[in-house]
Amino acid sequence: MRVFRKLALGASMLALALSACSTGGSGATIKIGSDDFDEAKVVAEIYAEALEAKGFTVDRAGIGLGTRDVTKAAIESGQIDMKPEYIGSGLGAYGGTSSNSSEQNKTNLQQALSAKGGGITVLDYTPAQDTNAFVVRKETADQYHLIKMSDVAPVQNQLKWALATDCPTNPLCAKALKDSYSLEPTNVTLLGACSGPMAQALLKKTVDVAELCSTGPEIKTNGWVVLADDKQTQPADNLAPIVRNDLLAKVDQAKFKDALNAVSAKIDTATLAQLYYDVAVGHKDLKDVASAWLKSVGLVS
Amino acid sequence: MRRSRAPVRREPGAPVVNLVIDTLAWLTDPSHWTGPAGIPTRLGEHLALSGVSIAIAMLLAVPIGIYIGHTRRFARVAVNAANLWRALPSLALIGLVLPVTAAIDPELGFKVYPTLVAMVVLAVPPILINTQAGVAGVDRDLVEAARAMGMRESQLIREIELPLAMPALVAGIRSAAVQVVATATLGAIFGSGGLGRYLVEGVAQLDTGMTFGGVVLVAALALSVEGGFVVLQRLIHSPGLSRIEQVRPASART
Repeated sequence: MRVFRKLALGASMLALALSACSTGGSGATIKIGSDDFDEAKVVAEIYAEALEAKGFTVDRAGIGLGTRDVTKAAIESGQIDMKPEYIGSGLGAYGGTSSNSSEQNKTNLQQALSAKGGGITVLDYTPAQDTNAFVVRKETADQYHLIKMSDVAPVQNQLKWALATDCPTNPLCAKALKDSYSLEPTNVTLLGACSGPMAQALLKKTVDVAELCSTGPEIKTNGWVVLADDKQTQPADNLAPIVRNDLLAKVDQAKFKDALNAVSAKIDTATLAQLYYDVAVGHKDLKDVASAWLKSVGLVS
Repeated sequence: MRRSRAPVRREPGAPVVNLVIDTLAWLTDPSHWTGPAGIPTRLGEHLALSGVSIAIAMLLAVPIGIYIGHTRRFARVAVNAANLWRALPSLALIGLVLPVTAAIDPELGFKVYPTLVAMVVLAVPPILINTQAGVAGVDRDLVEAARAMGMRESQLIREIELPLAMPALVAGIRSAAVQVVATATLGAIFGSGGLGRYLVEGVAQLDTGMTFGGVVLVAALALSVEGGFVVLQRLIHSPGLSRIEQVRPASART
């Protein structure tokens, strides 16, 4: 009897140990956060659901936490373990200079983050980019045969422009327009970058060219044309999950990274714009949009 | 004045001092006083927008105020409505009006008319309430005496009530004017000209000199308007009124 009891105890302890190992370190809860706008929130929700589908435990309290200043502090302090970050503009926030090369931005961001919060890792970035876009109405594009930015210079002064309020002093705006495309238009109104008034001005025909964010839902709603940045002047602003190293140490790293990288690989610019549109304009629930998309690309069943 | 290009020496940990230095440097830079984005142009735009708004508000509010004050009807309704109107956030109003006015004129209907409408809405309540109070507050004995003397109602309004209500009326316009001058800066968010552009662009371009230069200019303009009205009120103050007020202090009746 005693032998049997010892064997039983030993067997149950072994079973317990084995079960802990086989669930891929799901003992650790992954705290996901994001900036407080729809595009960032839906991507964070997608990452959360993809991880849950692989057996990880996720805490979503940090999604929509606040502006980048807030989430930056949160990830450095450990309040959240990971968030989706824009590798171009995020790089600026962490003290680096962004370029128009995605790979370069990722490298620089990784460098900047290695020293923060005990070390933060940048995982693979999405093909999708949300960057500055110069947009015209379809009629304008048709009338002047505008497809790319280089097409605009000959007709620049026949058009009314709306540029971001920081354009004059932003090297990615005024200087880039002038140096790469010979654009120094005379009729310019300055409005908030990627803002409501900017979109309104283009809609109401107050201006003919507006500077918007490339995944903005209003572009899709109105059938506007984004002029291709053929000289690559705008920063490469792909999305990538940034993750605290102490979290990585607590989970099955290979499984974790594979789950997230598989998701990122499938998010291209059109997808991002559609997701953003569904949440911001379609007013669909964040979770519904995320799970529907994951199912449609076969990442969850 | 030669513009110094040398970097200003900064005392670390003295942000207020830096702010003052940056603002003064921006205000005294001669290039900021010329051209279509220069201070005189923006001041002119700001005064034009404010002036037209107040003029329209007076055209609306003064006749209605006189009517309500004279007939003493709808006083409570008018005052409550005006107070409610006051609570409407100007920025929201601009956003609401914009689609309508932009359909009328894509250029002015975007940059000027929405702000104009919002400023008129802002200016009407103080003018209306003060005009109404001023006319209603005229000594009833005077009014009765005038009627007994055979004055027609329109004569009564023109020759007795309006002159006596002038101080209150002008006080209302003064209050409205200062508010409008200070709030017209909101238009810049929608591409309007005026001093608000320095606030909006200064913030976006992280140029504290421009931002606070704009703040100083708006404050100076508002104070000048206030001061101008003080002078005006003194000029139009009827000498007879002071004698009456010494004997019988005016009591405000609503």
